[in-house]
Amino acid sequence: MVMRLLALFILLITFLVGHSQECDYTFLGEIKDFHDNTPIVDATVFIQNLNKYTTSDVYGKFKIEKLCNGPLKLVISHVACETKTVSFMINGDQFETITLEHHTRELDEVAIKTEAIRRETNAAQETTVDSKTLRRYSNLSIGDALEEVPGVSSLKTGNSIVKPVINGLHSSRILIMNNGVRLQDQEWGVEHAPNIDINSANQLTVIKGSGALAYGGDAVGGVVVVKPSRVIVKDTLYGRTVFGGQTNGRGYNITSSLNKNYSSGWFGHIQSSYRRSGDFQTPDYNLSNTGLESFGVSTRFGKKSFESGFEVYYSFLNNEIGILRAAHIGNLLDFERAINAGQPIRIEDFTYDINVPKQDVKHHLAKVNYYKRFQNFGKVSLQYDYQNNRRQEFDVRVGDRRNIPAVDLILQTHSILADVNLDSNLDRKYNFGIVARYQDNFADPDTGVRRIVPDYDKYDFGAYITTEWQLSDDLIADAGVRYDFNRIDAKKFYLRSNWEDRGYDEDFQNLIIEEFPTQFLTNPVFNYHNFSASIGGKYSISDNHKAMLNFSHANRPPNPSELFSDGLHHALARFEIGDLRFNQEIANRISASYNYTNSKFNFLAEVFYNRIDDYIFLRPDNSDLSNRGYFAVWIYEQTNAELFGIDINATYDITPQIQYNHKSSFIKGYDLKTDLPLIDIPPFSTTNQIRYYNEKWNNFSASLKSEWVLEQNEFPNFNYTVINQLTEEEFEIDISTPPPAYHLLHFYSDATFNFKGKTSLNVAFGINNIFNSSYRNYLNGLRFFADDLGRNFTLQLQLNY
Amino acid sequence: MNTNNQNFKLMITNFLNFNFMKTTKFLLSAIVCLTLVTTFTSCSDDDDNPPPVNPTELFTNVTLTFTPSNSTNATVVMEDIQPNGQGGGGATSNTVSGAFVSGETYSLSLAATDASDPNDVDDLLNDDVIPEADEHFFVYGLNGLNFTMTRDANDIVGLDNNKIGVNTTWVAGAASTGNLSITLVHEATAVDDSANNNLGSATGGEEDFNITFTGVTIN
Repeated sequence: MVMRLLALFILLITFLVGHSQECDYTFLGEIKDFHDNTPIVDATVFIQNLNKYTTSDVYGKFKIEKLCNGPLKLVISHVACETKTVSFMINGDQFETITLEHHTRELDEVAIKTEAIRRETNAAQETTVDSKTLRRYSNLSIGDALEEVPGVSSLKTGNSIVKPVINGLHSSRILIMNNGVRLQDQEWGVEHAPNIDINSANQLTVIKGSGALAYGGDAVGGVVVVKPSRVIVKDTLYGRTVFGGQTNGRGYNITSSLNKNYSSGWFGHIQSSYRRSGDFQTPDYNLSNTGLESFGVSTRFGKKSFESGFEVYYSFLNNEIGILRAAHIGNLLDFERAINAGQPIRIEDFTYDINVPKQDVKHHLAKVNYYKRFQNFGKVSLQYDYQNNRRQEFDVRVGDRRNIPAVDLILQTHSILADVNLDSNLDRKYNFGIVARYQDNFADPDTGVRRIVPDYDKYDFGAYITTEWQLSDDLIADAGVRYDFNRIDAKKFYLRSNWEDRGYDEDFQNLIIEEFPTQFLTNPVFNYHNFSASIGGKYSISDNHKAMLNFSHANRPPNPSELFSDGLHHALARFEIGDLRFNQEIANRISASYNYTNSKFNFLAEVFYNRIDDYIFLRPDNSDLSNRGYFAVWIYEQTNAELFGIDINATYDITPQIQYNHKSSFIKGYDLKTDLPLIDIPPFSTTNQIRYYNEKWNNFSASLKSEWVLEQNEFPNFNYTVINQLTEEEFEIDISTPPPAYHLLHFYSDATFNFKGKTSLNVAFGINNIFNSSYRNYLNGLRFFADDLGRNFTLQLQLNY
Repeated sequence: MNTNNQNFKLMITNFLNFNFMKTTKFLLSAIVCLTLVTTFTSCSDDDDNPPPVNPTELFTNVTLTFTPSNSTNATVVMEDIQPNGQGGGGATSNTVSGAFVSGETYSLSLAATDASDPNDVDDLLNDDVIPEADEHFFVYGLNGLNFTMTRDANDIVGLDNNKIGVNTTWVAGAASTGNLSITLVHEATAVDDSANNNLGSATGGEEDFNITFTGVTIN
């Protein structure tokens, strides 16, 4: 501000003094580092008016003589610094201090030509899926791409609804940041996939555990950071268009993006994608009604410089996804028939049509942010963001009602965020900030179906501080604390009978605000105070060996589904019962990583132990032995749990052209109160890949990947018996036994043809499930009804220009 | 002139910079306003209670009325009530009143309603099932009971010219006691009205209800 006032003052003075033409003035300049004011030696100073060069001396000073009054434009450059152009009005002899940014690489705020990846955290277990790998998933989803990370698996409903599972934890335990905005999209549901267009992302980072406190304190499972492409500060115009096609589902997709950047820091970006697929196929049959249609658009513009900048971002995604028709069941007798049939009861001819049951989700995200960097201090950022998530689920209904959604939710979220990053001393970095959030959920009563989650207002407030200390050349330590306050104020209807069944009439009778013939309207208001903390260190044992250790403590308040569920969840044809009495989950996770690198071999092992007190989970309930076979009943329960495991990633360059990669993850989870294994824990899996690459042949690559998933042999047995009333026969519903192990082989090959200038064409061909093997995955909700996907040929053309 | 031009450019730059500051202020004030607005609206929301949802397609009351051809014999009524819909709990009941007489012919009339809102009872059979006969089919089941069942000539015709089983005739056979079930199948892929001695069968689809009456007697 002062600088600007000064500049204006100088400007005014210039006007007043007028235009004398003496040319005998001297300009003295001093070039200093922005952060710590140390002089910058040997910077090149180009005097544009005179077309002359000079350099700064050991004190960072330089002198220009024989100047006329009038404007002076200097272009100052230095190795490892951002080139800076400055203008002055010369009016007699003058002295000016010019600051240069000297830590560009560390701070990662200006364009870096290499695809360098900046870590989000220091000592947490963090893996990044880069832009090149992401492009291969252009026709799939974020969840699919995240499976590249060892220790990350997917919770699926069919093939198109894919939720990430990090070290066995998912849904509300995973926090997803999309371009700096915490995604708010009813993430509690197992068939609610994250609403992010994979084509709007340029980089995905997975941080296992809750170590990244700046993003939130409740990431008991981990954080997924989705970032758009980096802004380049130079005059350029570039874009990318991807066309893809796949045989399975006869799908096609197109995505295109265009970027315009100016050396002044202004930038604009627009991206859009469209994807369509019909019914997918297993090796033996069509998966009827599994088509999808997806449309996304995102745009942003702003100005970016080292010292300040702003960004306006908007994205929209609309996904319409069909759900396997045969998975829709009326009651447990249907379910038993479906399980025993071995294949879907309803198999029809291929179609692109998407009928009921289906989900249609629209997600808008808008944000504005502004940052300014202060000398000798650091960077201050402010952000406001708004999200509007409309989720409609259409069920199999009678007559015209099939066009009325059975679930219709609008979730609106406003957040403001202020963040201060003190980085003037690179050996002692501090970051602190506050966040306030207001959320409003509206469940449309016109569905004619009782609300699955109630109307509610939610208020969040959080404050955090994190720090990173470079203790020696080999040792970096980090630590952080965070406090979050959450308040949920809901208007929830309970059937009188359910209210009494749960014993709420004894504990919560005061919550009733209105009485109806069969229902009570209640107003539960719950406040949660959450404290989270993290501490860790990274030690470079030698150039080749690195070790990391991290401990994190996190609290997660129960989500609306866990608290308020009390009825039929139509999409899954089951009763889900939550509990108003739940308190927060408390997780303590300790993790250690070891990394060995040499020129040919890279090995990373990550181990963790996560103890979660008051762990909330959903399980089939067989306590009602008089079950006449209407619906499966699932109840939320709270227990103490422990999870532990190891993830391994190893790459070995057999020759400069041939590379071998191995990934595997092993995890166990137990309920400490009942001594049972936890439900839905991913089984041991391992992938081994061999890749040939030859730069001379138009960057040709070919790889063969083996994916082997074992049978989960530790699972809780929640099977139950149902009586067929007519025949009085008892039969067991096996909803617990995991499917057998499977092994799949995939092929992928690509080549890049460079044309004139920046234009290049990348052609990629792949075969998934080469041997067309039939298999089912334990973490796919539709595994009871149908096999997973059969062979799939994919072709993708990617044009960069 | 040239200097003036340069000055002008500098002014523009300064103006832009100031404007930029204004932008920041604007953003900040926008944020403050929005926060206030949201807080304010949420306060006023508190008086605004959401309306209850009264589901429109719950099968709460299913009644089978067997009327004998000889009016001196008793009418047999089977009634299943699930006030919150099938499997929804609450004060459920499942009753059979009266007994069949061996050799007598009974005409069955069905009623299926949504009485979850006592003030607004929906006739699901006549409003939903019959108009959408293609998508609905009744399957009956017998265990231990001697009945000869036929689907009437005036029964409603549904998928592939099958009679859906709304109008049926039941001839009571030898004295026996057992169970009788009625299942409404929705969107079956194939149905057969003559299977199982006209009791019917369906494949695919899901069951809207599957109700068994126990302790049915033929004297």
